[in-house]
Amino acid sequence: MTGAPVSPDACDVAVVGGGPAGLTAARRLAAAGLSVTVLDEQPELGGQYYRRPSAAVIERGGDHRPAGGRLIGAVRDAGADCRTDTSVWGVADDGRTLLLSGPAGVATLTARYLIIATGAYERVIPFPGWELPGVTTVGFAQHLAAGDGIRVGERVLLAGSGPFLLPVACSLLDLGVHVVGIAEAGTPYRLSGRGLLTAASFPARLAEFARYVARLARHRVPLWQDRVVARADASPAGDHVASVTLAATGTPATPVASYAVDALCVGIGFRPQSEIARLLGCSLSGDPWSGDLLPVTDPTGRAGQSDVYLAGEARGIGGAGRAAADGEVVAAAILDREGRPGGDRRAAARQRRHARFAGHNARLYPAAAELTRRLTAALPDDVHVCRCEAVTAGQVRAAAAVAAAPQHGGADLGAVRALTRAGMGPCQGRECQATVAALCGAVAEPAGMARMPARPVPVADIAQLAGTPVASTPEVTG
Amino acid sequence: MNARIEVDGETVSAPRGAMLTAALIAAGRWVLRAHPVTGTPRGPLCGMGVCLECEVTVDGRPATRACLTRVTDGMRVWTGTGGSAS
Repeated sequence: MTGAPVSPDACDVAVVGGGPAGLTAARRLAAAGLSVTVLDEQPELGGQYYRRPSAAVIERGGDHRPAGGRLIGAVRDAGADCRTDTSVWGVADDGRTLLLSGPAGVATLTARYLIIATGAYERVIPFPGWELPGVTTVGFAQHLAAGDGIRVGERVLLAGSGPFLLPVACSLLDLGVHVVGIAEAGTPYRLSGRGLLTAASFPARLAEFARYVARLARHRVPLWQDRVVARADASPAGDHVASVTLAATGTPATPVASYAVDALCVGIGFRPQSEIARLLGCSLSGDPWSGDLLPVTDPTGRAGQSDVYLAGEARGIGGAGRAAADGEVVAAAILDREGRPGGDRRAAARQRRHARFAGHNARLYPAAAELTRRLTAALPDDVHVCRCEAVTAGQVRAAAAVAAAPQHGGADLGAVRALTRAGMGPCQGRECQATVAALCGAVAEPAGMARMPARPVPVADIAQLAGTPVASTPEVTG
Repeated sequence: MNARIEVDGETVSAPRGAMLTAALIAAGRWVLRAHPVTGTPRGPLCGMGVCLECEVTVDGRPATRACLTRVTDGMRVWTGTGGSAS
């Protein structure tokens, strides 16, 4: 796969992902004198949490998260080589050379240490109509609002699960959007005495939550609990979402009420982006609560005895505060191994505190694995579960029956993929693998399913890297 | 300050420095391609580079994710070209 590198390049530490975790680690390591390269596929550093608003938005209303701008500035001042618009799409056989695609085409980067800080993305479970334009993730609505001052719609319903729905609804209110309502799959806001007590031990977060709830109440935004999307229906032209029907979480196929909308924003919490960790051969284990694969690391984020470290939400969902603490912990571990001073000794305690809060918060909401199982079980046979390859729930169910392997706790997922092509399109299964796994009766997504390219790369560019003409390029594009 | 971009040959005004997905949505262009198998209209889903529903051709470069691309003056965008990376 490696062939003759197009632009051989090396550094002490390569950081994949320029969000809170990667930036915090990069700042510390570069300040301590190591050569650090930060890679990010976005046009600017910041990740999702510190995503930079457009110049027009900053002129009008300033930066809603100025700490992000300061952190990015500190990383650059510390001397880190920051490469934006650069995707990591593969790993060479040596396990420490990353295959990149950026503004100047493909390149390689070899590092003594790799920090995987690729963050997370939103979990979306299919429902009839989920492919309609105007159905987006909650996070996309937030980026449009906070980053570009653009309304995702004029009448918007948010649905899913987790605390993220509330601040995004408030961002939409800021722009004058009519928020039709918020449908939460669980019942987290009927706080028991014990839940309130635990929440009260994180007063700042409790106050933030109270502000959102008060704001939503002032605007009379309904907050429906125990509700999921039963279906979305199109406008007469068929090219945009026009209505949303909700159902009780326990009976997702039985409609309760319908609402006219011009955007529907969905998201059931977040999942780690684990492709690069998988390509690097990191060991992963299925988490029974979320159904997600989590990289197996020691407390410093190190994968086994390797030179690969994981930090932030790529290691497990825990919010931006824990991600930043992770970055410091990983940096301290690498500096220790290098025999250099400068690591932040107090970061581990911060990391544990944030992890405690995240754990408590997560338990307020339904377990994603169970919710996924319940919602996918109710999916009509004709709904596409794999958006890329247009594979229906019925096709996956039929393949699962053929590929039954009860000794593995469900159907053989590799066989189901091969039979249906589910998860084999451009998104590499990021949007459907959890659903396909649930339809096949698996408790968690199986490991070992990442393949190159993890991000879109023109075939001609791959050929350039391999030093072979396009016609003889091996089948690497899936 | 607005930029002028060309979308499928038509001039569209967009806030300079906006994400291309945002500029397209602000211009009422939600449909960025027809699904290659079903022919159904598709628009952006995730807005952060993972779903690949917003792939367009930008200044001749195919398979460009609009959600990771900032608008520049004179940018030429062609929709209906997604899926070329697979």
